[in-house]
Amino acid sequence: MASSIAFAPQHPPIRILIGKVGLDGHDRGAKYVAHILRDAGYEVIYTGIRRAPEEIAEAAVQEDVSVVGLSFLSGAHIALFRRVIEQLRRRCAGQVVLVGGGTIPPDDVRTLKSMGVAEVFTPGTSARTIVDRIGQLLDNRQVA
Amino acid sequence: MNVDVEALIREAGTAGPGRIRAAARLMTIAEGGSGAAVNVLGKLAGAPEPRLVLGLTGSPGSGKSSLVDRLLQHCRAENPDSHIGVIAVDPSSPYSNGAFLGDRVRMMRHAGDPNIFIRSAATRGHIGGLAAGVFGMLKVMGLAGCDMVLIETVGVGQMEIEIESLADLVLIVLAPGQGDAMQFQKAGLMEAGDVFVVNKGDCAGAAEFHAQLMASLRLIDHDRKQRGPDAVRLVSAREDHGIAELLDYLERLRDTEAARWLARRRTRLGTHLRAAVLELAQRRLEAEWSGLAESDPVERVLRGETALADLAGELLRRAVLDNT
Ligand code: B12
Ligand SMILES: Nc1nc2c(ncn2[C@@H]2O[C@H](COP(=O)(O)OP(=O)(O)O)[C@@H](O)[C@H]2O)c(=O)[nH]1
Ligand SMILES: [Mg+2]
Repeated sequence: MASSIAFAPQHPPIRILIGKVGLDGHDRGAKYVAHILRDAGYEVIYTGIRRAPEEIAEAAVQEDVSVVGLSFLSGAHIALFRRVIEQLRRRCAGQVVLVGGGTIPPDDVRTLKSMGVAEVFTPGTSARTIVDRIGQLLDNRQVA
Repeated sequence: MNVDVEALIREAGTAGPGRIRAAARLMTIAEGGSGAAVNVLGKLAGAPEPRLVLGLTGSPGSGKSSLVDRLLQHCRAENPDSHIGVIAVDPSSPYSNGAFLGDRVRMMRHAGDPNIFIRSAATRGHIGGLAAGVFGMLKVMGLAGCDMVLIETVGVGQMEIEIESLADLVLIVLAPGQGDAMQFQKAGLMEAGDVFVVNKGDCAGAAEFHAQLMASLRLIDHDRKQRGPDAVRLVSAREDHGIAELLDYLERLRDTEAARWLARRRTRLGTHLRAAVLELAQRRLEAEWSGLAESDPVERVLRGETALADLAGELLRRAVLDNT
């Protein structure tokens, strides 16, 4: 059927999952990030709040996303990120690019990175910085 | 990237830890619309098919995703062995090509169920209420062992009836406060539906809306689908009212209509085959055209050396013969 917009099938949009794990109900940041990524040309699968690590991992596999982004404003980021990573590995999806954001202290940012989280964005990060950095991470992955 | 499609197909078709992942990767390829997509579709021609393909359409906000969630819940409770697939389509932004795919939010309680496979798809510029890759995704769902597949369309208007060409049964989901009896009589959406589901039965005005709808359906003189009064349902996805009965009704329809649906699937396959031929021809023509830069065919037509129609025939022949 006819296409009304310019879409190059050679380069289908990259898919990203954005979600929130645990009891934390602060969803403004996650929704904001989902929208800036959509506007940057990504297909964003949004899972909503209060998801279990298993649910995030299973959704990431079924949706075949390249990036999983999690938002934490509860303080529980290290324990929950660890469980999500474990669940992704269990499903042979350990190679997705992981990013996180929210109220995460600098020491914890380092810990998360040592666990395999590629980048962490703290409050006040501009949309431009987030979009550019995620693009960069995806480029690096394609070279690797 | 080098992907071994055959290996993915083998893995997606056998029970094992990599089944879902392999099926998901195949869907990405099928959705990508490249030569690889055509290749995947070709290899899936003989794959098992779902027993029942349900389409859900209707205005945004009428409760399609919520209804899918409830149908999944009841299906799984009644048939513990069943495998169910969901393809949920949301629109791509015409400005960025990106998309916000949020249907899953309403279905997340099933995310931990290994027998349920939910896949979100963006329209990617496709008009008609579906995404271009949905046919391929449906094939992959069959391969991965889904008995039943629910397809949720973007459902934006009256002309979004493409779902009829993919689903055995089309459910039109409506909610009170979304138009009046006049609109029911307009052609398009109302004629595409097999079952009309008035959702939000818990809201004010739902019963009246349901009654109006029953009355206007009787006004469509030659109802080519011969829908009985049972085909108009009043439910509440929120309160879980009328969903079990709706599912029962759908199962009964399947039992009586299965033969007709199978015949329809065959006809549809012909439609999809023709579409695939055109797509293939288009791509070969593009390849042929880019190789013609120096001989400039447009110049030949302008100089009157050849008629446009003759040149078109020649190009088609060359595109098809040279690129096989
Ligand atoms: C607004 C707000 C609320 C709103 C939330 C509304 C909503 N639906 O989101 C309401 C009033 C409901 C609320 C409630 C509570 N809140 Co409150 N809240 C805030 C506040 C003031 C701002 C958060 C916000 O929306 N920012 C705007 C968004 C856009 O920014 P952001 O989320 O940080 O996201 C940016 C980056 O972090 C990054 N990012 C974030 N996530 C992600 C993900 C990815 C993938 C990427 C790439 C980037 C990224 O990108 C964004 C853009 O830069 C913060 C204070 C603060 N400094 O953050 C407290 C804060 C988060 N709240 C706090 C608390 C304690 C609570 C309550 C427990 C209070 C209570 N005792 O009742 C409740 C709990 C609610 C719940 N159910 O979880 C604490 C958390 C402390 C902690 N971490 O341990 C904070 C930090 C305040 C404080 N200093 O004490 N809160
Ligand atoms: N009151 C009421 N609200 C409902 C019902 N079903 C869905 N909703 C709400 O209607 C809104 C849209 O639902 P959704 O399933 O996303 O609709 P869709 O856009 O058609 O997929 C959400 O806020 C739902 O909570 C229902 O049966 N009753
Ligand atoms: Mg929906």
